[in-house]
Amino acid sequence: MSEEEEFIQQLLNPKTQNEAFQKLLLAYQKPLYNHIRNIVLNHDDTDDVLQNTFIKVFQHLKKFKGESKLFSWIYRIATNEALSFLSQKAKKNGISSESLQNKTIDNLKSDPYFDGDDVQIKLHKAIAALPEKQQLVFKMKYFEELKYEEISEILGTSVGALKASYHHAVKKIEVFIIAD
Amino acid sequence: MKEFKLENKPKIESGFKTPEHYFENFSEKLMQNLPANEPKIISIFQRRKKSLMIAAAILIMALMVPILYNTTANKELDEATLENYLSYQTNMTQFDLINVLESEDIDNINTTIALEDKTIEDMMATNPDLELLLNE
Repeated sequence: MSEEEEFIQQLLNPKTQNEAFQKLLLAYQKPLYNHIRNIVLNHDDTDDVLQNTFIKVFQHLKKFKGESKLFSWIYRIATNEALSFLSQKAKKNGISSESLQNKTIDNLKSDPYFDGDDVQIKLHKAIAALPEKQQLVFKMKYFEELKYEEISEILGTSVGALKASYHHAVKKIEVFIIAD
Repeated sequence: MKEFKLENKPKIESGFKTPEHYFENFSEKLMQNLPANEPKIISIFQRRKKSLMIAAAILIMALMVPILYNTTANKELDEATLENYLSYQTNMTQFDLINVLESEDIDNINTTIALEDKTIEDMMATNPDLELLLNE
């Protein structure tokens, strides 16, 4: 039995479950927070989505078949939660996801949990102008520094396609920043 | 136009921060919330309870069908059927009927009918019970 299989067994066993889940929580909360925050941008929303993500992970552990790695399964849940949160929020406000994102970026300056300057805001705006998939790839590669192989497992896209996506994203961002 | 190369520049951080002690508090809060979200026994029980209630409702309705059917059938019984039943299906004899009748009823029956002597004679000849009735 591999180390990961053993850990999953501990997560499923009611006796060791709490301890194992705490271990999972400590290992994943920071990277997942960053991953979600890069998508939803605002701290309070990230807090909600992060909670929902861990609760979903906990509830669906029994259904985890081990077909993919625990790491990519958890990241996939977090990504889906964050994206569906955004589209729900946009729907509630009666605006498109794109304009919601731009509005959130405009509000970043007054966000107490954002200490970036104009360059950073410009970068976030440039990212927001990209198609959704390219945004995800860029954020995961540039900010989170995940490997292409890892991103490939999370998003279910080939490494080659991801490299192309990232390359396009970088080019578009550079053009956006010069033009602005 | 100045050149801008993302890869050549020192990395631009996302600029996102978290409140102080956020992660310590987060894991604590989440672990406390977990057991409340976990017991699925309740949800399964509730689901069972619901299906049991549906089954009970269907059973009650099924049981009510024959009752409803019977009551409507009773209402449909008309006088002719009742009369036929009394004349052919019961052991009730004319004597029983006479015993049941009150004197008032007999007075009501007692109306003068214009009959020819011959008709009376014929009736007396053909009805064997008449003699008994006269004796009463």
